[in-house]
Amino acid sequence: MTSSCFDSPHKPQWCPGCGNYSILLALKDALLQSKCKPEETVIVSGIGCSSKMPHFVKTYAFESLHGRSLPVASAIKLANNSLRVIAVSGDGDGYGIGMGHLVHAMRRNFDINYIVTDNQVYGLTTGQTSPTSPKGFKTKSTPFGVIEIPVNPMALAIASGATYAARGFAGDIKHLSSLIAGGLAHKGFSLIDVLQPCVTFNQLGTYQYYQKNCYKLEGTGHNPQDKVAAFTRSQEWGEKKIPIGLFYTEERPTYEDEIPHIQKKPLVKHGISNVNISKLLDELE
Amino acid sequence: MKGKKNAKAVSMLEDITIKIGGEAGSGVAIIGLAIARCLKDAGMHVFSENDYPSLIRGGHNTVSVRGSTQKIHSLCGKVNMLICLNKQTAVLHKDELEKGASVIFESNHQGESVNFAQDEKRKDVNYVPVPLLEFAQKEGNPIFTNSVAVGAALALLEADFEIAKKEMEKAFSRKGAEIVQKNISAAKAGYEFISKNFSKARLSIPIRKKLPSTILLNGNDAICLGALRAGCKFVAEYPMSPSSSVLHFMAAHEREFELVVKHTEDEICAVNMLCGAAFAGARCITATSGGGFSLMAEAIGMAGMAEQPIVIVEVQRAGPSTGLPTYTDQSDLQFALHISHGEFPRLMFCPGDVEECFYGMVDVLNWAEKLQMPAIVLSDKYLGEHLCTTPRFDMKKAKVQRGGRAGDKEMANAKNFKRYSLTKSGISEQCFPGQQNGMHVTSSYEHDETGFSCEEGKMRTAMMQKRAKKLEAMDREIIKPKIYGKKDAEFLIAAWGSTKGPVLEAQKLLEKEGISTKFMHIAWVSPFDSKTVLEELKKSKMHLICEGNSQGQMRALIMEKTGFYIKNALLRYDGRPFEADEIAREIRRLHK
Repeated sequence: MTSSCFDSPHKPQWCPGCGNYSILLALKDALLQSKCKPEETVIVSGIGCSSKMPHFVKTYAFESLHGRSLPVASAIKLANNSLRVIAVSGDGDGYGIGMGHLVHAMRRNFDINYIVTDNQVYGLTTGQTSPTSPKGFKTKSTPFGVIEIPVNPMALAIASGATYAARGFAGDIKHLSSLIAGGLAHKGFSLIDVLQPCVTFNQLGTYQYYQKNCYKLEGTGHNPQDKVAAFTRSQEWGEKKIPIGLFYTEERPTYEDEIPHIQKKPLVKHGISNVNISKLLDELE
Repeated sequence: MKGKKNAKAVSMLEDITIKIGGEAGSGVAIIGLAIARCLKDAGMHVFSENDYPSLIRGGHNTVSVRGSTQKIHSLCGKVNMLICLNKQTAVLHKDELEKGASVIFESNHQGESVNFAQDEKRKDVNYVPVPLLEFAQKEGNPIFTNSVAVGAALALLEADFEIAKKEMEKAFSRKGAEIVQKNISAAKAGYEFISKNFSKARLSIPIRKKLPSTILLNGNDAICLGALRAGCKFVAEYPMSPSSSVLHFMAAHEREFELVVKHTEDEICAVNMLCGAAFAGARCITATSGGGFSLMAEAIGMAGMAEQPIVIVEVQRAGPSTGLPTYTDQSDLQFALHISHGEFPRLMFCPGDVEECFYGMVDVLNWAEKLQMPAIVLSDKYLGEHLCTTPRFDMKKAKVQRGGRAGDKEMANAKNFKRYSLTKSGISEQCFPGQQNGMHVTSSYEHDETGFSCEEGKMRTAMMQKRAKKLEAMDREIIKPKIYGKKDAEFLIAAWGSTKGPVLEAQKLLEKEGISTKFMHIAWVSPFDSKTVLEELKKSKMHLICEGNSQGQMRALIMEKTGFYIKNALLRYDGRPFEADEIAREIRRLHK
């Protein structure tokens, strides 16, 4: 991939071999493909290894708090719906501490593209279990193995009202980039869960493991408009049974499209210099 | 005036208090509001406060309305008229009654006439049984009981029925002509019943011309009006008593004023949304109470670090924890002043009355933007929900002032824009997504001038100093404490926030007895005007601080900022606002 208007002067510092490098490439490629303008694009992240991503893409960006990327991103979209808003965070951020916001953002269907870099582990805090760790997974915080079952991001997205639910793999940049571009082209909330090897703290979800076990939904005859089929696919996991690609998509008006007074002009462009409240005061006289 | 013909009528009441009591959901609030508006229409200054438990039905609710020919700031004095929507009200509040007071009660409760036992009654007041429900049912619905009561009350006041009629038209016009007419008929029934049957129980008030350019509203509404006037475009809020009416008000006016109002999934979302909205360039507010405010702590720190202007209105209620959801308190002062970890500057304003709620919001929204920092407006249930007549807000004194925003033209030619440049004032220009050449990261992490994460010691120190310095740019006139009463009095009363009203009333009581006092009201606590506060304290010989908490939090703050320790403190933390009487009593005691 060549240099572009999205190049930042800063070089990423993730562990050598980290899946985030390829996710960053795929994101920049998708931005180019989708003809986004750097000054009209905002990337919002939370806190975690992948949430450092906005520093390495030249756009407007907000590196917010752990778990809070979606409230920040949603408000940016509501305040200025002419912007392209992308959120990026990890599985701990999105499916753990930020889970409540995720469910509500999906049902609201803001036109936001949410990329979750899903490595099944908390990397930045040196390797504890995450909401997507498989049952039995041994980490510093679960030395005897995780007892509960993992969150199923695709099933959750379909159930919660996301209008674009896809899973990509950091080891297949081209495929991932097309999924992100698809999300950017889609009007509504897109969740793109990315299987991301953590070479330092996850010995199970490795490049080899995913390369061996992932298969692409494209070419299987899967119809992403079929909600029941999408849900059935979301239940697949394990040996040769990890689907990647677009699980589900539907058309539904976005939240911001249903606010009449921001259709002609984004909220931030409304004048505020002399708001007339005299009618309200008259009622109180 | 009718009353003058009546030999038995009590002399004119220049100052009157009417209390209405009953179960939650029985119409206490509606009658209270109607009577407050009627007194206002009769040319009086009005103050009205409510007391209710956290229930939708049942329990015991009251509204107390005071009307006066003089400007008033809180309730003061005994009850002249008690309107009882149940028997319990008459019994519970009998000791609050003034001699010669009138007690209106439902004469016929569920088909049985209501009687009082000897110890449930006062001998020196007039009991006025009115078949409220019966008259209401004549209009076809028990709901009209409220209007019957309003009519009866106005007749006892010897006010013209026109006032009641106008009020019914105003209150019910949205519900259609038929409902208006039925309410007028119900009020008329109550009015005529009293006129015919009770000449002894009359409490006539001087009927004057309606006060010019005077509005009647509560603190929460004034905060909303201030926010609207100041160009607030974005509201994100999660309901919590007693702040929810801010959400209701703004949501009701969302379309008219072209706002975005979002009822969020929680307060964490609400305050994080504000950070996003501010980053995009919209003026924004949220409102909450202690519990929700606690949840907002982390993101308020982010607004401090990322230098985003967000405004949080905290309408205090009695804590800790769920506490007393519908009762007032002033115990979050130190919490709000220190909310969130780490050190960062914030604006903090504690309005003293309805008027300060309005003008203060305009100042707060202007200065939060100019100084690019979070701002907290600390109100409370008492101020948020009491109604007070106030001079109509003057738009000339409430103007939007913008600051620190880069223009589109400027950005079109910008090179190497540094969002967090280290300037002399600490204030650096903010640009917004959509503007050319301004791409940067705004971050919850410590950062360098471009916004890039930076943990290097020297830059960290420089950034800490940059942010702290911004407070120095605040207008020193705005933050000055206000002085009321006799400027050179030996006795100084200090108070903050909503305790202002009861202190002003206490001053009036004392002045009548020849005790002059000086009152220093502190509204701005960050930045804090240490110099003026100390000067004023030093000018007086005796001091008393009144605040609605158990620890004397403002006393501690004054001590911290000025080294001056106010020895005497009157502290109240039973969930109720101060009464002018108790403040006056304490001052008399100290004054001896």
